[in-house]
Amino acid sequence: MEAVAPSLSTYQDESTFTFDKVVEQEVSYKHLSRNPFDKNLLPELMRKYYNIDDIVDYIKSKPHCKRVTLQFPDHLVGDSTLVATEISKKLGKSEQQQVEIGCGGCGCNKESDKTCNNIKPKAEEDQSVWILADTSYSPCCVDEVAAEHIGGQMVIHFGDACLNPVDKLEVGYVFGKPDIDLDVVIEKFQASFSEQDQVILMADAPHSYILKNLKERLTQHNIAYGDISSQAFPRAKIIGYTPDPAPSFQLLNRSFHGLSDDSEETLGQYKLFHIGVPETPRLLKLTTIFESVVLYDAEAENTITGPFPNLMRRYKHMLMAKSAGTIGLLVNTLSLSNTKTLLNGLKEKIKTSGKKHYMFVVGKPNVAKLANFEAIDTWCILGCDQQGIIIDQYNEYYKPIITPFELLLALNEELSWSGKWETDFKKLVEDLGEEDNNEPAEYNDEPVFNPITGQLTSNSRPLRRQEYLQISNEGNDGNNTESNESSLVKKFSTDVVIRDTVSTAAISLQDRTWKGLGTDYDEEEYNSEGALVEEGTAGIARSYQFDVSNREE
Amino acid sequence: MVAFTIEQIRELMDKVTNVRNMSVIAHVDHGKSTLTDSLVQKAGIISAAKAGEARFTDTRKDEQERGITIKSTAISLFAGMEDDDVKEITQKTVGNSFLINLIDSPGHVDFSSEVTAALRVTDGALVVVDCIEGVCVQTETVLRQSLGERIKPVVVINKVDRALLELQVTKEDLYQSFSRTIESVNVIIATYVDPVLGDCQVYPYKGTVAFASGLHGWAFTVRQFATRYSKKFGVDRVKMMERLWGDSYFNPKTKKWTNKDKDADGKPLERAFNMFVLDPIFRLFNAIMNFKKDEIPALLEKLEINLKGDEKELEGKALLKVVMRKFLPAADALLEMIVIHLPSPVTAQNYRAETLYEGPHDDSSFQSIKNCDPNGDLMVYVSKMVPTSDKGRFYAFGRVFAGTVKSGQKVRIQGPNYQVGKKEDLFLKAIQRTVLMMGRFVEPIDDCPAGNIVGLVGVDQFLLKSGTITTNETSHNMKVMKFSVSPVVEVAVEVKNANDLPKLVEGLKRLSKSDPCVLTKMSESGEHIVAGSGELHLEICLNDLQNDHAGIPLKISPPIVSYRETVEGESSMVALSKSPNKHNRIYVKAQPLDEEVSLDIENGVINPRDDFKARARILADKHGWEVTDARKIWCFGPDGNGPNLVVDQTKAVQYLNEIKDSVVAAFQWATKEGPLMGESVRSLRVNILDVTLHADAIHRGGGQIIPTMRRVTYASMLLAEPAIQEPVFLCEIQCPENAIGGIYSVLNKKRGQVISEEQRPGTPLFTIKAYLPVNESFGFTGDLRQATGGQAFPQLIFDHWQALGGDPTDPTTKPGSIVKQKRERTGLKPEVPGYEEYYDKL
Repeated sequence: MEAVAPSLSTYQDESTFTFDKVVEQEVSYKHLSRNPFDKNLLPELMRKYYNIDDIVDYIKSKPHCKRVTLQFPDHLVGDSTLVATEISKKLGKSEQQQVEIGCGGCGCNKESDKTCNNIKPKAEEDQSVWILADTSYSPCCVDEVAAEHIGGQMVIHFGDACLNPVDKLEVGYVFGKPDIDLDVVIEKFQASFSEQDQVILMADAPHSYILKNLKERLTQHNIAYGDISSQAFPRAKIIGYTPDPAPSFQLLNRSFHGLSDDSEETLGQYKLFHIGVPETPRLLKLTTIFESVVLYDAEAENTITGPFPNLMRRYKHMLMAKSAGTIGLLVNTLSLSNTKTLLNGLKEKIKTSGKKHYMFVVGKPNVAKLANFEAIDTWCILGCDQQGIIIDQYNEYYKPIITPFELLLALNEELSWSGKWETDFKKLVEDLGEEDNNEPAEYNDEPVFNPITGQLTSNSRPLRRQEYLQISNEGNDGNNTESNESSLVKKFSTDVVIRDTVSTAAISLQDRTWKGLGTDYDEEEYNSEGALVEEGTAGIARSYQFDVSNREE
Repeated sequence: MVAFTIEQIRELMDKVTNVRNMSVIAHVDHGKSTLTDSLVQKAGIISAAKAGEARFTDTRKDEQERGITIKSTAISLFAGMEDDDVKEITQKTVGNSFLINLIDSPGHVDFSSEVTAALRVTDGALVVVDCIEGVCVQTETVLRQSLGERIKPVVVINKVDRALLELQVTKEDLYQSFSRTIESVNVIIATYVDPVLGDCQVYPYKGTVAFASGLHGWAFTVRQFATRYSKKFGVDRVKMMERLWGDSYFNPKTKKWTNKDKDADGKPLERAFNMFVLDPIFRLFNAIMNFKKDEIPALLEKLEINLKGDEKELEGKALLKVVMRKFLPAADALLEMIVIHLPSPVTAQNYRAETLYEGPHDDSSFQSIKNCDPNGDLMVYVSKMVPTSDKGRFYAFGRVFAGTVKSGQKVRIQGPNYQVGKKEDLFLKAIQRTVLMMGRFVEPIDDCPAGNIVGLVGVDQFLLKSGTITTNETSHNMKVMKFSVSPVVEVAVEVKNANDLPKLVEGLKRLSKSDPCVLTKMSESGEHIVAGSGELHLEICLNDLQNDHAGIPLKISPPIVSYRETVEGESSMVALSKSPNKHNRIYVKAQPLDEEVSLDIENGVINPRDDFKARARILADKHGWEVTDARKIWCFGPDGNGPNLVVDQTKAVQYLNEIKDSVVAAFQWATKEGPLMGESVRSLRVNILDVTLHADAIHRGGGQIIPTMRRVTYASMLLAEPAIQEPVFLCEIQCPENAIGGIYSVLNKKRGQVISEEQRPGTPLFTIKAYLPVNESFGFTGDLRQATGGQAFPQLIFDHWQALGGDPTDPTTKPGSIVKQKRERTGLKPEVPGYEEYYDKL
């Protein structure tokens, strides 16, 4: 062997405990202009890009909103200070204390909360501006919780947005006006479609402003376009862009103009040309609606025709959920309306179908966090349909993650799969209500056929009543004579049935080899003399005593 | 006219010593079903005229149309024996009536799993061998399987009529051909026999070989002729039997027996077998087929054959059939052989118990099985499901090994994953009805005692293909069957109309139930996959699926081959991965497992359920492992029993036991979907060299360890010359000499590799054996037929996995292009990631 692992296996030096350092990044302003520009022009460009004047007008038009929070997605956070300064200036404040940096919703401990409350605007009538440093879940959604940490009444949301309705706050959306070369877009468009094709133009929110223009320049093609919907959200306003107010067919927070017939089925006959590359869940949704999808990557200035996320993989995951015994409901949003209703509905449905569920909030989910809960067979994620759903394309996650829609399908007795993929909570809640009328199917203890493995699964419904089951050995109760004199407990319970239902927790404990200290004790390997008792480490992991002394040296 | 009643059969079931459970096994087209017919006819279930043509046990329409058996079929027969015969039985018997539970099995290699399921519930096997084709690949496979299950064989050499009529051989040639065939059977038996079974060699002079013509319905054993002649010569029958086979000659002049083929004057003598056994048959054939009308009546009289009115009018073949049937009725010879030489359940279960029962050999269930005790705790092994007339419902077909199963009895139904004390795969249910399987009919019976074959109603929902039924809650499972074939040919099926999906899934469930071997699963990209052992098997399965189980039109993809990912060297350096929080590190190295070890794991010789010390012994003694390594196998994977191992080679790592569950879980995951293209991994051994763990339990939980172990497994594999393996068929072709050229050219085109070419002595037939990659086998039969003018018909059976030469990470090589295609199909990045993707620097 040439390379040998270190012999002192659990040796830990200081480097083990060094925390990740912040990686320094150069701020890129490419979205402001495609051509390099002079740094001095930055405030001016920024003012134009974000329509700062309109923002200020909007804030001023809502004088009851004393605390205004600015929410930026990660890639635009670099602009936040400049924008905030600019807005504060226009709101008529002095240079020093206009911008407060709010906490990001999650990292707020008691101490900083206190300071939060201590900072008060000088005069009651002043409107103050705060930057939300971090978004809890998906950056496309308005982060109400973060805004509420400082008691904000208004959120100005920057960048691409899902435009899903928000329950409590006033919202202003600022998409920005990215600089884009229309000629290239047209050239790419013409390369992708023939003149006979029925095409719909769509874009992410920032690029939507060019759609109408684009349509007018592509006269020889049969084109409809999906503009930002102006009706979807009553309490919000789009700043710096006015969508076409003409009445039209609404879907996905877009209003479609120029369709031959206003229905979702009609959309199925159209091909989609989408400017901007949407996140996976949104993309998946789009591929299920339209006949075909072509994406235009504005940054690289080229088109993408695939591979797109595969709906049949969702089918597979849905089937996996069907034979899962324990379901983890992962809440990945706090601001979407209908979340609670849906959550309660799902819980009820899971219960009636005899499965076990747990509810989780883990902050931003990642592989490691979810893998910690080994007892969960399938995760169901409740999140924003644009970015808040995890579509595990490369099989990184230990257990499959499905959406509420798929979970509802999986919980139905009858198997169905229509090729549609619903992410709208409102519709799902409606579906839930309808199904509630159905009598729950009779309990039967037949195992379920799992088409993924081709095997029968017997523990897909641990919570249904097991009227017949007697797993505990009754015969052994009274006359267990073989008890060892030195053992403290006569017999550990091996029962996995609690009050006529199977306990999934007991089963997973039973399946583990490691059940806590002492369970791996092997009599053969140890002698009876035992070992010397030594003093162990104290404190929390990041500041163990021996480690601290290391550091001091 | 049925010659027995169900009551009679039921009565006999209690006399277990008089029960014979046997299966009829052979190569395809050697005449199992036809031969079975003569037994069925004897029992009066079908008329004599139809025997040999009806193929009563081919119950399905496609079986009748195609002329091959697809499903094994059971039938119970009643046999009354002469006192004279009963005396010869060495095992305990009561009275002269016997119950024969017979299972006719398919001969085509693709349906070998049906044979396995049949063998499990029987104790003896009637091995049928075509006297012209001799011992073929499937003859060997089924013999090996039966001996592995400790099932005693007797042999029938069939189609003797063809040798006489078509080949016109001489008596001595025929004798030589018989003896060669018997010899080759004995060679196979000697190779695979389990010492516990004792001497299983078959000899005509012991009565364990019969010669038959299934089509004409006649058969004889040397014993039968010995009986005739022992009366005539006044010699003891046993002595006579020995004289009627082998180098034994009768000098008619001196009336002396000798073992030299020449008499004192140097004149050649005729072999006793030829003279006393073959001669009357040859003379009958000669007289009847050459229309020597005057000779016939004399001959018939001499042989004590009486023809009835209109039978006398017959001529040629028809007359020959009638005469031979009267002279040497097939059923008599076969029944005699079966009853005398095959073991009763009592005899057989005594030595089979240890190969049948998973649990300890001192518990009550084991003892009940060993003693075949009808009053003990119930032990039933369900070996397959037989469809009922009620769509989607099945009879659970199995054997009562202990206790008595009754209608309405409350039982524990234990699926293959059941472990004592656990809840998984366990159901408490009542048996609705017990039935007797009679070919295409069933007969209800009230109960069925140990040692018999039975059909159960009301069990099928709880078992997929097989399982154990008991009444004792401490009973372990019966051992699962190991099939000689693997489902290596796959197709993807899709519904034409999305609304039919539920029907498809239900259909797949029924299909998996109805066939012991077929595998249904889902691919990474969400397609339903049906996997079978060969093209014919798949064709039958898909037909059933479309027309019967699902009843909907399907889109079926061209056949695909499933590959395996493996490594061919040791990791070039220690692979290291850090956990997401960087506080834990796992150091491993990958290396290939020896092919023998992988095979032993796949065949269940090395088994995760075994005691680790016993397992370590096998690994150390047979495969040269270090005992310390062999004892520290952490897990098998994938699915907890696959041919990949994790070995703990760490020294004094604190908290190591705590992460074992996570490491095991991660290894299952990693070996289920390998790093190259997401296929299962095979023959991989991962040695954990060292582990660094954070001192605080929360920082070394599953979330940190599972993804890390998976990454480090991938990294170590990519560092250890990763390769892919493809399945390879063993291909056997029998053909006349002029077809050989065509066969070779087709094999060459298909990457085939010829391993042997032999002429079958005494015939113009050649037997070619070759290895043929499964991937190239699609359409092979058709190509072969074309190239040889329909003279060659191949038998393909999965043989082994073979590494595909070339670097799978380089898309210009063959394995590379396979990997790339597969990755693209499943939506992965087309290039195989480098080890750096999974490797962390220190």
